[in-house]
Amino acid sequence: MTPSAAAVEAVDVAKNFGAVTALGGVNLTVPAGTLTALLGPNGAGKTTLVRIIATLCKADRGRVSVFGFDVADAPAQVRARIGLTGQYVGLDDALTGRDNLVLIGRLAGLAHRRARSRAAELAELLGVADALGRPVRTYSGGMRRRLDLAASLMTNPPLIVLDEPTTGLDPASRQQLWEALAGLRAGGTTMLLTTQYLEEADRFADTVHVLGHGMIIASGTPSQLKGLVAGRVVEIRLDRPDDADAAVSVLATKAAIVARAEPGSGRLTMPTDDGADTLLSAAAALRASGIVIADLGLRQPSLDEAFLALTRPAAPAADPAVSAAGAADATAAGARP
Amino acid sequence: MTAASVPLVVESATEPRYRLLRDSGLVAGRYLRVLRMNPGRLIYPLVQPIVLLVLFTSVFGNLAVSGHQGSGAYREFLIPGIIIQNAVLTAPIAGLALLRDAGSGLADRFRSLPMSRPAVLIGRLAYDAILFAIQAVLLIVTAFGLGFSVRTGPAGVVAIALIAVVFGASVSVASAWLALTIGDIETAERVMYFPAIALNFVSSAFAPVPYLAAWMQPIARVNPVTAAADLVRSLAEGGAAARPAVMLGCWVLALAAVPGTLAVRRWQSAP
Repeated sequence: MTPSAAAVEAVDVAKNFGAVTALGGVNLTVPAGTLTALLGPNGAGKTTLVRIIATLCKADRGRVSVFGFDVADAPAQVRARIGLTGQYVGLDDALTGRDNLVLIGRLAGLAHRRARSRAAELAELLGVADALGRPVRTYSGGMRRRLDLAASLMTNPPLIVLDEPTTGLDPASRQQLWEALAGLRAGGTTMLLTTQYLEEADRFADTVHVLGHGMIIASGTPSQLKGLVAGRVVEIRLDRPDDADAAVSVLATKAAIVARAEPGSGRLTMPTDDGADTLLSAAAALRASGIVIADLGLRQPSLDEAFLALTRPAAPAADPAVSAAGAADATAAGARP
Repeated sequence: MTAASVPLVVESATEPRYRLLRDSGLVAGRYLRVLRMNPGRLIYPLVQPIVLLVLFTSVFGNLAVSGHQGSGAYREFLIPGIIIQNAVLTAPIAGLALLRDAGSGLADRFRSLPMSRPAVLIGRLAYDAILFAIQAVLLIVTAFGLGFSVRTGPAGVVAIALIAVVFGASVSVASAWLALTIGDIETAERVMYFPAIALNFVSSAFAPVPYLAAWMQPIARVNPVTAAADLVRSLAEGGAAARPAVMLGCWVLALAAVPGTLAVRRWQSAP
């Protein structure tokens, strides 16, 4: 292998499933030794991209190489260098944790003795050592995920690909998994992971690629991505959460401000470039309409807001007639956290 | 983490040909291990054939078949047919098991490993061959109790068991391809047994070919079930075995080559 090559190099990768475009020409570079996150909502194409990189499915167009080996021409070389933790746990429920790890390690090429010692080592590292003799079906969700990660690490591959590794885990299990991944990263393993959780990408990734509708719509460090949305965010908390819908339309018609209502909480957020002016005119418009404000302020946008701004189809115009519809759109987008 | 403690590229530099055997053995070992932990799974596939053999023989065994050269008793004709039709009825188990695996996370894991591609199919078939062998031994022992005899001696008995295993495994290849092509487990569970039953009835398993309806006869003559059943009869009665043996050999090779290749490809590309 050529150590200088990027861990993953994808050029113009496209994939259709029938009439549905899963990927519409994606370019992606994962430098060796980094943690790269693919962030996007369901159906954005994250899993398809990961599956192409892991040689599980073929691209219709474009080229992907892993450490310099083409996934289509040299899949065996690629497979020898990748550990995949898929969206669904890749273990046999009827077998014990140890049997799973040994089987997977041996199929990956380890000798029996080596597979056994490696299984014990990884189980210790990931906190499943006590359960190694039990059938996997008796494991909790978090233990399964950790054992699944252990299975991907059996041959200590230089690239780990994780497809939504923490989806469906409770916060404590998620934390444990993240500690394990942080340990790997400190050891120099390159990681590519997909996630729907902005918090994860924000806390751990060196680079985040935001995927929407089969395209990479933004790339950068988490802080760069936050800078992509308007400089500040005006946040208003209403006295009565029920007023939220009325407030959104008041702001749109009276003040030409596009606000997003968080369902149920009575919290309105509106990105702004001029800061205080937006805050003052929003407050005035609401007050004139008799909507009571409990709290208001200016703050930095969260990655959450950056993500929503990026994945929303198009920014609504400021024309009052259009922005009413735009405000309704924004509300609908807010309803899908 | 112990990133530096293990060489980057693993001890996987084994030869591809050796790799196929090794990986198939590992896959078969996986199924055997699951079976060891759930031995109850063996009960049905082992009890059902014995029950069917006893029922069929007890109900129809004393009918006389005038057209069949041999002892004249239907029993002698029927028992080899039962042994072979059982292999066809058991074969869908392999296809359904592979289909159940194909959609699981474990299948993605296997597909992402640098393991031999056909090993998933061959390992499963090796496991099923063990099942077929146990079935064949139980069936033959029970058949002896029901008045079955093999004139070619112990070698003939071993040959009959081997035929049941090899034929069962090759039909299992076809079932693997069919199940993976159907793709949906619920549909496959309903659909798979239908061709198995049709294959058994449109053959010499239960009646000599000239006794079948006229439209069935051309199909029955080329049916692999006919070849296998006739071969077992030849061994039991000491008759000429060359013709059914050649036909069965051709079928086994054809089934291993064509549906075998297609099934491996299906497995690899399953969604």
